[in-house]
Parts: sequence; C-alpha cells; structure tokens
Amino acid sequence: MVEAIIEVDGLVKHYPLTQGVLFKKQVGAVKAVDGVDFVLNKGETLGIVGESGCGKSTVARMLVHLERPTAGLIKYKGEDITGLSGRALKAVRRNIQMVFQDPYTSLNPRMTVGDIIGEPYEIHPEAAPRGDRRRRVQDLLDVVGLNPEYVNRYPHQFSGGQRQRIGIARGLALRPEVIVADEPVSALDVSVQAQVINLLARLQKDFDLSYVFIAHDLSIVRHISDRVGVMYLGRIVETGRDEEIYDHPTHPYTQALLSAVPVPDPEAREHRERIILSGDVPSPTNVPSGCRFRTRCWKARERCALEVPLLAVPAVFRHVPGPAAHDSACHFAEETRVVPPEEPAGEAPDDLDEGGA
Amino acid sequence: MPEQPFEPGRAIAGTGAGGAMDLATTEAETLERSPGGPLGTGPADRPRSLWSDAWRDLRRNPVFVVSALVILFLVVISLWPSLIASGSPLQCDLAKAQEGSQPGAPFGYDGQGCNVYTRTVYGARTSVTVGVCATLGVALLGSVLGGLAGFFGGFWDSILSRITDVFFAIPVVLGGLVLLSVVTSNTVWPVIGFMVLLGWPQISRIARGSVITAKQNDYVQAARALGASHSRILLRHIAPNAVAPVIVVATIALGTFIALEATLSYLGVGLKPPSVSWGIDISAASPYIRNAPHALLWPSGALALTVLAFIMLGDAVRDALDPKLR
Amino acid sequence: MLLEVRDLHVEFVTRDGVAKAVNGVSYAVGEGETLAVLGESGSGKSVTAQAVMGILDTPPGRIGAGEILFQGRDLLKLKEEERRRIRGARMAMIFQDALSALNPVLSVGDQLGEMFVVHRGMSKKDARARAVELMDRVRIPGAAQRVRDYPHQFSGGMRQRIMIAMALALEPALVIADEPTTALDVTVQAQVMDLLAELQREFHMGLILITHDLGVVADVADRIAVMYAGRIVESAPVHDIYKAPAHPYTRGLLDSIPRLDQKGQELYAIKGLPPNLMNIPPGCAFNPRCPMAQDVCRTDEPPLYEVDRHRGSACHFWRDCVNG
Repeated sequence: MVEAIIEVDGLVKHYPLTQGVLFKKQVGAVKAVDGVDFVLNKGETLGIVGESGCGKSTVARMLVHLERPTAGLIKYKGEDITGLSGRALKAVRRNIQMVFQDPYTSLNPRMTVGDIIGEPYEIHPEAAPRGDRRRRVQDLLDVVGLNPEYVNRYPHQFSGGQRQRIGIARGLALRPEVIVADEPVSALDVSVQAQVINLLARLQKDFDLSYVFIAHDLSIVRHISDRVGVMYLGRIVETGRDEEIYDHPTHPYTQALLSAVPVPDPEAREHRERIILSGDVPSPTNVPSGCRFRTRCWKARERCALEVPLLAVPAVFRHVPGPAAHDSACHFAEETRVVPPEEPAGEAPDDLDEGGA
Repeated sequence: MPEQPFEPGRAIAGTGAGGAMDLATTEAETLERSPGGPLGTGPADRPRSLWSDAWRDLRRNPVFVVSALVILFLVVISLWPSLIASGSPLQCDLAKAQEGSQPGAPFGYDGQGCNVYTRTVYGARTSVTVGVCATLGVALLGSVLGGLAGFFGGFWDSILSRITDVFFAIPVVLGGLVLLSVVTSNTVWPVIGFMVLLGWPQISRIARGSVITAKQNDYVQAARALGASHSRILLRHIAPNAVAPVIVVATIALGTFIALEATLSYLGVGLKPPSVSWGIDISAASPYIRNAPHALLWPSGALALTVLAFIMLGDAVRDALDPKLR
Repeated sequence: MLLEVRDLHVEFVTRDGVAKAVNGVSYAVGEGETLAVLGESGSGKSVTAQAVMGILDTPPGRIGAGEILFQGRDLLKLKEEERRRIRGARMAMIFQDALSALNPVLSVGDQLGEMFVVHRGMSKKDARARAVELMDRVRIPGAAQRVRDYPHQFSGGMRQRIMIAMALALEPALVIADEPTTALDVTVQAQVMDLLAELQREFHMGLILITHDLGVVADVADRIAVMYAGRIVESAPVHDIYKAPAHPYTRGLLDSIPRLDQKGQELYAIKGLPPNLMNIPPGCAFNPRCPMAQDVCRTDEPPLYEVDRHRGSACHFWRDCVNG
C-alpha cells in the first residue's frame, strides 16, 4: 500500500517587484511557482525536472521551509505544515532535510567537518545525547564513504565530490524521512557524479528515505526516480511514472526536452528525431495567457492562448488504459516516442564492474 | 555548472575556500577511501582552518612583520614611556628653547624649551589610546548596527542606510571644528567620542555588505533548514565569515584616526596643552620651522610612521584574508 | 595541418608547490575539422587551449616546453605583437560564460563593430552595418533593432550567439570553443550547438571543442582527444571511441553517464578522485583508479600507443580494453 508522506496542493510563490526606496510599492510579481500539486509517497523518489527559472528550486526551498508559500498547502503525513512556526516547525524540520547544489557554498568554511555534521545535534539536542555525538558524526562520515578520522578537517581540504558527501551526511544526521535534493550532482565532474548518485540510491535503501530529486538533467532523473514531474515556467506540465514520461511522453515540452538531451552515442543519434525549440523561456514576470508553453510550441493554436490546460489525463487517452494515459497539461496531447527503445543491456564488461562508491 | 574551469588565480592562493578543487587541494585529495586506503599522511594532513592559513601567510609577509614590530614598539612605549625616556614631557626650560641635539635630548628642544624626544615618546600614548579606543568603538557600533541591518533587512535596514548616507555627507574636519569647539574637557574622550560618532557609518556599511554576502551562502540556508535560531545563524555562521573585511577596514581606520587626532589637535579643537600629543607639538613647532626644524620633524615623523604602519598592517591583513584570492 | 600542438608542457607555480597542468600534450586540427577535447576539471583541457590562444596568465603559468604550430609557424616563438595580430583575426575563442566575456557597458553592436574597426580599419558606420549582418547570421531576431542593446538585455542563449558572432566576425581559420553550451539549458544548448556546427561547415574552419560532456561531443566532433591529468590518454575518430574505447578512463566515463534510454540499477562509477596536479602518481596517472592496473602501470608511464592509423591510446593494456 502506498502511503503519501508529502502532499503539495496548489503551491504558489510570487516575489513582489517593488519600486521606491523607503516606502516600497508593488509594481508586479515574479511568478516563480504558480500552482504546483504533487504527492510524494513513502520510500519513493519523485524527480522534478525543468530548465533554469522554471521554479523547481523554489519548490524545493518551500518544502524545507526556507521560503514561505504565497498560497497553497504542504502536508506532511496528512497534516498541514505550511503555517507552522516555532517548536512545531522545528519538529517537522527534523523529518524533512535538504541537500544543496553547490558543495562550495553549502559548507561553512570556518567550521570543521565534525562541527558541520554535528550541528544538527546541537540545534536538536534531543536527537542525540551529548556524549554520543562525536561517535555519531564519525558513523555518518563512514556511511557516506569518507574516512571518520577526518572530523577535524575543514571543508576547503576536500574536493567537490567529498564536500557533497559531507553535505549529505549533515542532511542524514537527524534521520529524516524525506530528503529534498536540489541538483545535488550538477556541480560535480562526470566521474564523481556517478559515485554520488550511487551513494544516494544506497542511502535510500538503508535509511528508508523518500527523495524529492530536483534536476535539470533528464538522464540523471531517469536513473534515480520512480516518478517524474516536468516543470515549465512555474507549473508542472506533465507527470507520471518514469516509463510513462520517458517512453510515452504526451506533452510537447517534455518531448522537446527529451529530444534535446545529448546522447553519448553517435549512432543512436542518427535514428533519433530531434525537436529543436525556437526562442527562449518567457519571463516569469509576464507569463503568456492560456498555456504557458504556447509561445515556443509548434502545435499551438488559438485555443492554447485562451484556455489554460489542466494537469489531468488528456481526453484522448482517458478511455485507453496504457502508459500514455497519465497527467499532461496539453490541449493537443499526443504520444510521440522520442527516446529510442532500450537496447538489451549486457555490454558492460565484467572487468570494470568492481567500481562504485 | 558542471565544470569548474581551471583558474590560475585560484591556484596561487593554494588552499582556498572556494576553488580548492584542482590544484589547491593537497594530499587530502586522496583521502577518498579507495581500496588503497587513505594516503594522506604528509604535512598537509593536519586540519587547517582559514584563520590559521591566513596567519601562516601573514608571518611570511615582510610588510606584516615590519609593521607589526613598529606597532608593538608603539604599544609598549605608550604603556611604559619611562622605559626609554626619562623626565617629564611637561618639564620645559625656556633657556634651552630651539637648541639642537645634545646628550639627554637626542631630538633637541622645541620653541618652549621642552625636550622633543620625551614629548614625542609620551605623545605615542595619546595617539595609541585615541586610535585603539576610537577603532574599537567604531568597529563595535558599526558592525553590530550594520550586521543586524544586513541580516534582517527591511524597514530598519532602509532607515540605517539613509542615516549612514547623512553621516557620509558631513565633512570630518569641519564637523570636528564645530562639535569639538564647544567641548571644554581636555581629555581624549571627547575626541574619541567624535570619531566614533562620525566613523561608525563606514564600518556599518562594510559590515552590512559582508553580512548580506555571507547570508546568501547555502550553509546559512542549510542551518535555517535545520531549524537554527537567528542568534546561532548570526554568531556561528555569518559573523565568522563576514568579519574579515571589518577587520581590514578597522585596521586601516586606526591609522587614519591617529592622523585625525593630530589634525584636530593641530587645529586646536582636539587636545590642548598641557596634554601631550603629536598634533599639539606639530602645531607648536610650525612657527619656528626655519630656526628649529627638528622640533617639527620628529613628531611629524613619528606620526607618519605610525599611520603608515597601521595602513600597511591593514593591507597585509587584507591580502591574507582576501576571499577572492583563496 | 591548420594547428599542431607538439609535446606541450604547462605548469603553475603556487604557494604549495608546482602544479603540472599540462604534461606533454600533442594534437592536431585540420581545416574544416572538429576536434573535441574531452576531460574533467583539472584535466588541462582549458589550459592547453589558453596556451594556444596565448591568453595564459604568466605568471603563475609557465610554458615549460613544446611547440604550437599554427599554419606552419610556431606561435611560441612569435613576438607578442605578432601573436596579437593572429588572435581574433585568424584564431578566435568562445567562452563558457558569455555574460562575463562580454563588456557590460558597451552595446553588443559596439563590441561586434570594434572587431572590424580594430582589425580591418573600417569606419564606425560600416562596422555597425557589419555587426547587424553578423547578428542576423547567428539568427538573433530583430538584429537591426537589438544592435544597440547591452549584453544583460539578452538571454543566455542569445548572448552565446553574440559570442559566436564575435568569434566568427573576421572569419578566422581556427575557433576554440571552451564549454560553449555548458551554462545553457538543454533546449537552448541544442540550438546553439547546431548553429555552431553549421557555421563551421560554412566557413570551413577548424574547431576545437572543449567539453566535459560526452553527449555534446558525440553530435558534432570528427575526432576526440580525451585528457586526464594533463595528458591525452586517448585520441580517436568519434565513432570508434563510443563503440570500443581503447582506454579504461574513457570506458569508465562512458559507463558512468546515466542514459536517457536505460534505467540501470547502479551506475558504474570510476572509483577515487582525479589526482592532485602537484603530486601526480608515477607511471600511468590513472593507475590508482584503474580497474585494469598492473604493476607495470605503477612504474612505467605508457606512451600513446598506436591502436590503428587513426587512433592512439596511452594504456599498456589497450588491446584488452578495446576487446572489452
């Protein structure tokens, strides 16, 4: 039975644009997030993908209470946590932790690694008795694959991948149930990215974690996610199980996004049909009417400018059960296969398989 | 930003906060637990904080060493002037007026027949007291106000910014002439008070800026996401990362406060005789510049050297702490 | 050959020691050819390019040895004056971060036009007209109106187009593009890469594409040179490298990329970390991370073995590697 751990309902974040020096008056708003709904089930990974400025990071920050939503609800185990403050908020925070994108700015350069990972216990003294903390910090270092002896080192003595492991250890310290990871590997080198992804996957199993995994890289999201939501200009435009999105996308934006991903195989490319979008993402201060994607969409018609498409199973698929019948906010949804079918695996040479973090 | 381009600028800094990825990482790099086990056992193996790195840089910097020695000497003689000067700076003998260098008075005598050497040595106390106290006051007031404004932002931040703008518009010397001329007390305190009053906006602006910069770092967000209190975030995460520019500016300001005290005393609104101050001495010696240049030379030389020492110290500290180089 | 780099060595003198950034790199690019230089941060790929362009900061950088032959002349032996004339006119560079590579206080038209004024001695008016032409060419909508706009008024993709226009302005024989699409979104990445490839064909210029992304490379490159710790570890035509990599590092990189068309259980990960350039391991620099490493790899530095006429691999066991 699936149990929802986080439910997000109609989440909105508008940043007011103001003018004036001392007495500010509002002249508009950046609609960073503009009506987002999703559910995160226990033990699963929900991937949220989109290009820069689509609002995915703002969603992440609202989930961990770094930003207050302009409207909408965030429920944790059925209870609304949006307006919490003080002690109640602190208790919820223990259960929802975050891993940040940039391993260079997410660790305080003036603190030792032991202090950084141990800080959660100082803020939540009930989580671990004082005498036990150092041992716990060392255990955490061990869990994320770093040498426990290095508790007294400073962050600048570590490389990017190692710092990201330290950030993950800090996120794990309070044994949260949910981890919100905001582009956790996009600042890392390719060879180190894989180590960190594998680590996250292992920790999910060992600690029974649920992840909200935010990324712009569709291939990484596919690798780690059970379900995926594709965001465009503050909204989720298509959401479904992993194979529904990757193998049976019905929203033109998802299709374009998938087809634009460079595939490291010159031959596979030749069979691929590529959709190259024209133009740029419109500014979130001035969102197009109707469907937000219409200004770049090759299918756009008059209806798209007038009517906002709802995120639901499109009418054409409603009576045809199958992977194409998933939520997609498009008036003219149709299934197009963009990613070539999976090739039979088995090419991986045995002599190279011993790696992994 | 999946790629950090190779940046030679960072490479020089060696063990920096930001760019420690490529060259800068030392043997710690290999501590990733590969099947080979940790290899980091070299001298670079010990933990190194950014402060200790800065200190290591400073010790190797000749500019720092020289200026620190000068300042140390000044501090010692202002605490115990009798160590190197006998007699009282107020003991003057008009009969010896304008006499040159002689035993017991290596710098000669000034127009009033006072021993220039003794007065110069005793003058250090005034300068150091004014410099240190004014700087402490300015740094405390400025960094607390600026830091809080930068951290909380909003209405009070706007108010504070406008107030600092107003203070920046006040010409310092003119302000001193006006404000201090009504003061009757002949101690260093009104002068210090005036300097704090006019000096804090500069520090407050620096502190505000560096707090705002530090505040945007993800580690502050991480602490907030953990539920850390405002005071914890400010004291533990922001202050240690925002304090460097304040230290640098305050060190340099110390030198300028000493110069300002001399200026005000020269103009007759700072300290007045019988207090001992380089400014007073310079003022008193200037009418006799043709006959007794030594009486002007020594106190002004001491003043220039002191100011220079503090400015050089500030520069050296900036080089050691500059986050752009690390 | 348009450009030939021979046995180039570059090092940086730092507070903590000498970092060997480039250790004997040789590569060549012909007219109309695209060479992709692939590597992770610290592999020396950008430093090599900076040395070729002559924009390396010296000090702290220092070119220890090597030759950079451009149209038959060794650039390292030229006077700064002569190199400056080549730079911009006959070889040009496209940077990753267009926003910081463009001057924020000059309009894009002025910056594009400056190229013609400085190198071709054109009048301001003619230069402006050429700037509009160029902006049209890189498909900036409404070029005639936008020529007066400042860099910050353009989106990331548009700025990168302006960078490309600037690089191509004087129709150089060689263009070096250092991570030209890394800072862009995927959908815009494809547009910019296509434009670059198209213009390259049109102008028949040599292109060195520096990247960390194997995906981007697969699309446009003719040859690939893979760099690791300041050396080229494999050099091959693009199809060969993806089909049967001849170096375990290349193979590891390929295997560690998550693929859009495969949902794997565990990603292959190259163990360990790239070496510290101040302390490169003896023998093969990759040996501590290599699953195939033998004793010989820890002592003998592998030369670039000839795999076939077009391929080289700096691995003692390249045969085992190619055969899987």
